[in-house]
Amino acid sequence: MTPVASVALVNYIGLSALIFLIGVAGVLTRRNPLIMLMAIELMWNAANLAMLAFARAWLNNAGQVFAFLVITVAAAEAAIALAIVLITFRRTKNVDVDEIASLSG
Amino acid sequence: MLYTIWLLPLLGAVVLWVLGPQLRERGGILGSAAVGLSFFATLTLYRAAGTTPGVHVPLGSWIGGFTFGLMMDPLSLIWVLVITGVGGLIHVYSIGYMAGDRAVARFFAYMNFFVFAMLTLVLSDNFVGLLVGWGLVGLASYFLIGFWFERPSAVAAARKAFVINVVGDVGLMFAVFVLFSHTGSIAYTDVFARVRDLAPPVLLTACIAIFIGCAAKSAQVPLHTWLPDALEGPTPVSALIHAATMVTAGVYLVARCAPLWDSSSAARELVGTIGAVTALAGAILGIAQWDIKRVLAYSTMSQIGYMIMGVGVGAYEAGVLHFFTHAFFKAQLFLAAGLAIHALAGEQDIRNMGGLARRMPFAFWGMLIGTLSICGVPFFAGFYSKDAVIYGELLDGHPWLYVLGVATAGITAYYMFRMLFIAFFGRDRTQTEHHGEPAHASNVPDWVMQVPVAILMVGTIAAGYLDIGGDNSIWSRFLAPDFAGENLLRTGAPQISDMVSSAVVLVAVVLGFGLAYLRYGAPAALTNAPERLDREARTMPPVLTHGYFVDDLIWALFVRPAQALGMAFGRFLDPVLIDGAVRDTSFLAGVLGWITRRLENGLVRAYAVTIVLGVACFVAYYAFAGIPR
Amino acid sequence: MIAALVIVPILAGFAVLLLPRRAEQTARWIGVAVAVLAFVAAAASYNAADESARWLSRPFSAAFHVGLGHGVSYWIVLLLTLVTACALLAGSPPWAARGGGPAERTFVAHMLLLLGSMVGVFVARDLLLFALFWDLMLIPVFLAMVASRGRAAVTAWRYLIYNVAGGLVLLLATAAFGIVTGSTDVVGAGSAHAAVGGVAFAWIFGGFAFAFLIKTPVWPLHTWMPDTYADLPSPFAAVVSAVQSKAGLYGFIVIGLGLMPAQMRAAASLMIALGVISLFYGALVALTEADMKRVVAYSSLSHLGLILVALFVFAPTGTPDIVALQGAVVYIVAHGLFSAALFLVLGQIEQREETRLLARLGGLGVRNPKLAGGLTIAALATLGLPGLAGFAGELLIITGIYRAGASWLAAVILVPIIIAAAYMLRLLQDVMNGPQRDDLPQRPDLSFVEGLALAPLVIALVVLGVDPGPVANASAAALQSPSGVALSGEHVPR
Repeated sequence: MTPVASVALVNYIGLSALIFLIGVAGVLTRRNPLIMLMAIELMWNAANLAMLAFARAWLNNAGQVFAFLVITVAAAEAAIALAIVLITFRRTKNVDVDEIASLSG
Repeated sequence: MLYTIWLLPLLGAVVLWVLGPQLRERGGILGSAAVGLSFFATLTLYRAAGTTPGVHVPLGSWIGGFTFGLMMDPLSLIWVLVITGVGGLIHVYSIGYMAGDRAVARFFAYMNFFVFAMLTLVLSDNFVGLLVGWGLVGLASYFLIGFWFERPSAVAAARKAFVINVVGDVGLMFAVFVLFSHTGSIAYTDVFARVRDLAPPVLLTACIAIFIGCAAKSAQVPLHTWLPDALEGPTPVSALIHAATMVTAGVYLVARCAPLWDSSSAARELVGTIGAVTALAGAILGIAQWDIKRVLAYSTMSQIGYMIMGVGVGAYEAGVLHFFTHAFFKAQLFLAAGLAIHALAGEQDIRNMGGLARRMPFAFWGMLIGTLSICGVPFFAGFYSKDAVIYGELLDGHPWLYVLGVATAGITAYYMFRMLFIAFFGRDRTQTEHHGEPAHASNVPDWVMQVPVAILMVGTIAAGYLDIGGDNSIWSRFLAPDFAGENLLRTGAPQISDMVSSAVVLVAVVLGFGLAYLRYGAPAALTNAPERLDREARTMPPVLTHGYFVDDLIWALFVRPAQALGMAFGRFLDPVLIDGAVRDTSFLAGVLGWITRRLENGLVRAYAVTIVLGVACFVAYYAFAGIPR
Repeated sequence: MIAALVIVPILAGFAVLLLPRRAEQTARWIGVAVAVLAFVAAAASYNAADESARWLSRPFSAAFHVGLGHGVSYWIVLLLTLVTACALLAGSPPWAARGGGPAERTFVAHMLLLLGSMVGVFVARDLLLFALFWDLMLIPVFLAMVASRGRAAVTAWRYLIYNVAGGLVLLLATAAFGIVTGSTDVVGAGSAHAAVGGVAFAWIFGGFAFAFLIKTPVWPLHTWMPDTYADLPSPFAAVVSAVQSKAGLYGFIVIGLGLMPAQMRAAASLMIALGVISLFYGALVALTEADMKRVVAYSSLSHLGLILVALFVFAPTGTPDIVALQGAVVYIVAHGLFSAALFLVLGQIEQREETRLLARLGGLGVRNPKLAGGLTIAALATLGLPGLAGFAGELLIITGIYRAGASWLAAVILVPIIIAAAYMLRLLQDVMNGPQRDDLPQRPDLSFVEGLALAPLVIALVVLGVDPGPVANASAAALQSPSGVALSGEHVPR
C-alpha cells in the first residue's frame, strides 16, 4: 500500500514529538496547576496529531476514531481537573502544586 | 443366649448410669442382678460350649475385611464363669462395702460396665473385638481406680494405670495389623489356620507385639508399676479387676493364641522367662510392704507371673487352672482384707492392726484359708494349679524357670504369713485416726458381705480338685478342644516325677512359713512387735520400698523427656522460631513498605518525572532492541 | 436444592441481622432451625444430581457447578450442618451474654454465614467456585473474633492474613489450572490433562498443597491455629476445628487424588514427613500446654497429621491405599465430632469458671457431674477409645499403612496414641478431678438445652464407632464420583 500524503510522514511525527516535549517540559517545570493542565492538553494534542498522521498514512480510520475519543476524554478530563483545582484553591487558598502534598506517604 | 450373657451387664450399666440419682442404694441390687443373671445364662451354655467348635454368633462386618462375631468355647467359658460368677459375688459384697457412699449407683454402673467389657474381651471371636474389649476394660479400670476422684493419689494412680494400659493396647493393635496384613483375616480360626504360612520374623514380631499387650494388662515386668497403685480404688474393685479378672486377660490372650506360641519357640522362651521373673520380682516386693492391699497386689503380680510362665512355656491347662484357682483365693483374700479394712474404718497399714484374729474371726478364717491356698498347701486349690505350672516348666525343659518357680513359692509363703502374723496375731495396735478409704456408716447387714466370702471359700478349697487325675482329669478333658494337639514341647525329659516335684515345692513353702513364724509369729517376736516392726521399716532397703526404682526409670526415660520436648516445642520452637520466622516475614514487608513510602512524597511534579523516566526507558528499550514483528 | 443449602443460610444470616433488638432469643432459634433444616435437607439429598449454571467461558470455562454426591462431600456436609446446629444450640459466646458486646443475633448471623460459605466449599464442583468459597468462609470467623475484642482481635488479623495468603495461592493455582487445561470443572476434562503431568502441574499442585497445608494446618504452617482456637468463641472454635480445618484434607482428596494423582504420589514422602512431624509435635506440645483450649488445638494438629499421612499412602503399585483412605474419611468425620464436642464442653467450662488455665481449674466433677460426663466422653473419643469413632478411623488408617508395606511407619505412628492418652487424661483430670476448689465460681451443671447440644455428637460418635461402614464405604465410591476419576486397581485384601 502506497502512502498518498504529499507531506512526508516524518514531518508530522517530528512536529508531534516536538509538541509533546513542550507539554512534558511544561508539566515538569511549572507549579501553577492551570498551566500544567494546559501543558497536558498539549500532550493530548500531540498524540492526536500522531494518530491522525498515521491514520492518513496507513489509510486506516481507527486512528481518526481514536482521535475523536481522545478529544472527548480530554474535554471531560479538563472539566474534572478544573473542578479539582477550584476545590483545592477554596480549601487551601493556594495554587502551588508543590505546596499541596497531603498525599505524601 | 450369648447375646443375653454379653449385653445384660451393659444394660445394667446404662440403666444405672441414667437412673443413678433415683436408684441410689437400690443400684447395688440391680447391678448384682444383671451380673447374676448373666452367670446363670452362662450355665445353660455349659454343655454347648464344651463341644467343638463351641457356640458361635456372627455380629456383622466392617469394610476392609473385618468380620465380627461372638464365640464361646471351653477357654472362654472358664473366663465367663469366673467373670460373672466371682464378679457377681463381688457385686453382692460391694452392696455392703459401698453402702453410704455418695455415688453408689455410679460405682455399680462402672462395675457392670467392666463386666460387659471383660465379656467382650473373652467372647470375641476375632482380634479386633478382643482389642475393643481390651481397651474398654482398661477404661473401666481407670474409672474404678479413680472412683474417689477427689483424692489426688487416686487420680494419679488412675492416669498411670490407663496410660500404661494404652501402651499395651498399642502393642496389641500392632499385632492385629501384622496378623491381618499377612493372613487377610482377623478371626482367630482363620489366623491360626494360616500360622504355618507366616515367616518366622513376622510371627515373632506378632508374638512380641501381643505380649506387650499382655504385659501391660497383666502387670508383667517392666510394665507392672501401675498395679500396686491401682489399689487406690475401693477394695471390691481390687478384688474383681486387679486380682480375679482383668489382670489375667494377658493369660487368656496367650492361651488363646496358643497356635502362635506353639510355632515360635523364641516367643515361648521370652514369655516364660518374663513370667518367671515377674513371679519372683513380685514376691520379693511383697516382703517389703506394710499396706495390706499392697501385699496382696504384689502377690497378684507374682501369681500372674506364674500363670504367664505356665501358658508361656506351653503348659496351657496348668496356667489356665492357676487363673481359675487364683480367681477364687485372691478374690477371697481381698474381700476378707476388705472386711477388716471396712471394720477398721479404712485402716490399711498392717502395723496398725494386730490381734484381729480375735476381733473378727470370720475375716481371719477367710484370710487364713486364702493364704494356705495361695501358698500351695496340699488339699487347697492353689496346690494343684501351682504345682502343675511349676512342674510344667520342667516338662518343657526349662530347669532354671523351675528353680525360679520353686524359690517364688517359698518367698510367697514367707510374705503371706508375715502379713497374717503381723495383722491378725499379737496385741491389738489399732488406732483411732485413719487416713485410708473413706468410712461409711452402714445399715446393710453383715451377712451381705460375709456370704460372698463364704461361697468363695468353697472354691478356694475345692477348685483344684477338678485337676485330679492328670491327663484324664475333668479339667483336661474339658479344655481338650482348645489345646488339642498343642501341648508341651517336652524337649527335656523330666528327671523327677510329679510327686517329687510337689515335695520339693512343699519343702520351700515350709521353709518360707518357718522363717515367717520365727520372725513374726513366734511368741518372742509377738511381745515387742511394734518396736521390731518400726526397726524393720527403717532398715528396709530402698530398692524394695521403691519397687526397684522402675517407676523412676520410666519417669526419667519417657515422661521427663516427653515433657521437656513439649515444653521446648510449645514455649520456644513455636512462638520464637517458627512464628518468629512468620513475624520476620511480615516485618520485612513493613521495611519494604517504609522504603517505598519515601517515594510517595506528594509532589505531583516528582511523580511526573518518574512517569517520564519510565516512558523514556520504554522508548530507549524499543529504540535499541527494535520492535518485534 | 444443593444450591439452596448454600444460599438459604447466607440469606437467613443477613435476615437475622434485621431482627429487632429485643428478639435475641428468636434469632438463636431461627439459627438452630436453619441449621437443622440444612441437616435434614442435606441428608435427604443423598446422591442427588449435580446442579450447574454457566459462569465464565473465557479465558477458561468455569461454572456454578455444585453437587453433593454420596461420598466425602456428603458426609462432611452432614457433619458441618450437625456441628453448626449443636454449636448454635450450645449457646452464644460470653460477649453476647454480657451487656455491651455485639448482640446475640450477630453471633447467629456469623454462624449462618459460616455455614453457608462452608457448605459452598464442600459442594463446589468447580475449582473457581471452590476458591471463591474458600476465601468467603474466612470472613465470618474473622468477624466473630474481632467482635470479641481484646487479644482476640489481634489473633483475628493473624488468622485472616495467614489464610488469605493460602487463599491467594489457591486462586493463582486455580487460574493456572484453568488456563492450562481450559476448564476448572472438577468433573470435567481437567483430570485427563493433569494425568499427563509436567512442570506446570507440579507448580499448580504445589500451590494447592500450600493452601491446603495452611488450612489444615500442618507443621510448620500451624502457628495461627492454637491462638485462633483458643481466642475464638467456643461455638466457632467447634465449627472451625471440626469442619473448616478439614477443607484442606478434603482438597487433597478431591483435587489432589481426583485430579492430580501423579503429583500426589510425587509429593508423598514430603507430605508423610510433615504429617508425622505434626503428629508427634502436636502430641508433645499438648502434653505441656497450660491452656485447656490450646491442649485441644495441639491435639488437633496431631490428629490431622495422621489423616494427612493416610491420604498419601500409596501401594507399591502406585495406587492409593483404599483402606487408608476409608480410614481417613472416617477419621475426618470422627475428629469433627469429637473436637466439636470438646470445644463445646470446654466453652461451657470457660464460661462458667472464667478461666482456661488447667492450673486454676479442678474438682468440677463433684458439683457438675453432667459436665464431667460430657468432657469424659469427648476426651475418650479423642484418645481413641475402642468402640468410639476415633478408634475405627485409626484402626483403618494404620491397617492401610501397614498393608501398603510401610510397617515401620505404622509402628511409629502408634506411639502418639500413647501420648494422646496422657494429655487427654491430663486435661480431663485437671479440670474435673481432685478436691473441690473454693477459689472457683460455683456454677450450675449443664442445662437441658446445653446437654441437648452435646447429645447428637455423642450419639454419632458411638454409632460411627460401632459401624463406620456407611461413611467408609461411601468414601470408596465417592473417590470416583466427585472427581470423575476412578481409583483403579483397588488393593483388596487376600
